[in-house]
Amino acid sequence: MSVIIDVKNLSFGYTPQKTILKDISFEIKEGTFVGIAGPNGVGKSTLLNLLCGALKPKSGTIKIDAIPIESYNWKTLAGKVAVVRQEFVPVFGFSVIETVLMARTPYFGTFGFENKRDKQIVNEALEATDTAQFASRGLGSLSGGERQRVFIARALAANSPVLLLDEPTSFLDLKHQVGIYDLLKNAQLEKGKTIVAITHDINMASQYCDEILLLGANSNYQIGQTKDVFSPEQIEKVFGVRTFVVSLGREKFFIPLGKFAKDRGQITDKHI
Amino acid sequence: MKELLTPKKLIFRVVSGLLVLLAVMLVCSLIGAESISLKAVFNGPGTQAANPDYQIFVEFRLPRIILACLVGAALACSGVVFQALLRNPLADPYILGISSGAGLGAIIAVICGFNWTVWGRSPIAVFAFAGALGTVWLVWFIGRMAGRFHVTGLLLAGVVVNAFFSAVIMFLTSIAKSQQVYSTIFWLMGNMTEEDFLVLWIGSSCVIGGIIALFYISPQLNALSFGEEEARSMGVNIAGTQIIAFAIAAAITAVAVSLSGLIGFVGLLVPHAVRLVFGPDHRQLLPLSGIVGAIFLVIADTVARIIIAPAQLPVGVVTAILGGPFFLVLLVKYSRKVSWLK
Repeated sequence: MSVIIDVKNLSFGYTPQKTILKDISFEIKEGTFVGIAGPNGVGKSTLLNLLCGALKPKSGTIKIDAIPIESYNWKTLAGKVAVVRQEFVPVFGFSVIETVLMARTPYFGTFGFENKRDKQIVNEALEATDTAQFASRGLGSLSGGERQRVFIARALAANSPVLLLDEPTSFLDLKHQVGIYDLLKNAQLEKGKTIVAITHDINMASQYCDEILLLGANSNYQIGQTKDVFSPEQIEKVFGVRTFVVSLGREKFFIPLGKFAKDRGQITDKHI
Repeated sequence: MKELLTPKKLIFRVVSGLLVLLAVMLVCSLIGAESISLKAVFNGPGTQAANPDYQIFVEFRLPRIILACLVGAALACSGVVFQALLRNPLADPYILGISSGAGLGAIIAVICGFNWTVWGRSPIAVFAFAGALGTVWLVWFIGRMAGRFHVTGLLLAGVVVNAFFSAVIMFLTSIAKSQQVYSTIFWLMGNMTEEDFLVLWIGSSCVIGGIIALFYISPQLNALSFGEEEARSMGVNIAGTQIIAFAIAAAITAVAVSLSGLIGFVGLLVPHAVRLVFGPDHRQLLPLSGIVGAIFLVIADTVARIIIAPAQLPVGVVTAILGGPFFLVLLVKYSRKVSWLK
């Protein structure tokens, strides 16, 4: 498998005085599902914005498919990297299919319309995300989970090898969280997409992600196989929270232990 | 599944709209203080005796109706563009200070008492045009200084510049002579006059050219409705789209304002009305708004000509009185279709 995202010595700060990301290097191979985890404010979203070209690095390089990100124009970059941000609903009521079709905007003909191939790609994206059933409804009339699936459908319709997602399951209930992760895993396994998702849910991430980039304060980071990165020691170090680990077959589950957890001492002593 | 907008459907709707517009123009050109017959008009200018019907039609009615079309289409289209760029349903062509800039230009021209002409245009029109464009440029510049391109900064700059220039207008009005005040206020209310064909020719080429150019960036305007970052990651060149859209919308508004003064409501109501009925897709919204804006202003101006004939009302008064209730009916009837009301 070839490397599709190659980050070397990346640093970034919103002001010259304060750097938020410092000297970060990692590689992401084509067709892997990578989770980015870490506490609030360490620069996870900033990293995502750097990877999609919305921000420019202060130093270091980002290569997408072996080509430096700054050599792409908006159109060619959109063909490589699609982004799902935390949801935003526009003021004017676009329908689901109109929204998904917008991913094809750079490929429209001079008259400003989609061709057969665009329509086919959009229909496939609607089918894959199970949104075809409400394709003609307005975005505003959907539930949070349905809307998130629509935005993922739009990202799929960009037909790009890489999908970046910023907390795709925040605000969703249990069923929809699992639904979104199943959908992303499907896209990875069936279409060979490379998926990079920011997540706060360690348990979902450890079930679905092949690799984890655990980003801590002061750009202390660790990237590797999920089972190696997620350990109670690492999690306590990065998040400052003690966890209790349950192993069930090949899956590991992390249960956070608060200060007031009953029998906190007993559990930690016996099991960790 | 809902039928998507197709080129065929769009062409059909635009052509039907244009036919309705032509019919409305024809009917309105025959109505007026002096009623004329189409048959008499077709007899031509007359060889021996002058043909009054023909004269009224060609020299008074036709230029005025063409002007109304032009101004209505320009204001409606630029309203669509400003609402999309600012992602704000309250935006209209005047939101970034065009109205106060044009007003200030007009009152300066009146007070200085210039009496030269450019292409048959009075100094009021020339100063209003310059004032409108100058103000938009100023607001754009301040908005840019406030941040890379923040919609809120731009809107606030527009509101403040508007308020400041309005204060200057008030000041100038209070020191002006009463005759000068009267002609300024009449201009500020928005008014149609008979223009000669050269002015109409130049004006319509600007407006039609501008609308065609805006149509070419309408898919990008769709993407921009989701916000700049979203549009960018969808592969849209946002800086280019924004500059082109702003420049053209401001230019056609300035043309409209310099020809007819400040006609309110058209640029706000028509885009919303069309959106309520046909949906938010800009590829359709833009051309249909232009046509509906033209139809609306032709009808409003006809009402303004005849309702207290032989005197005339400023057309801006009619657009507000006609447009307000009409829009409220539409709003109630179609509101279930649009999500921003939820």
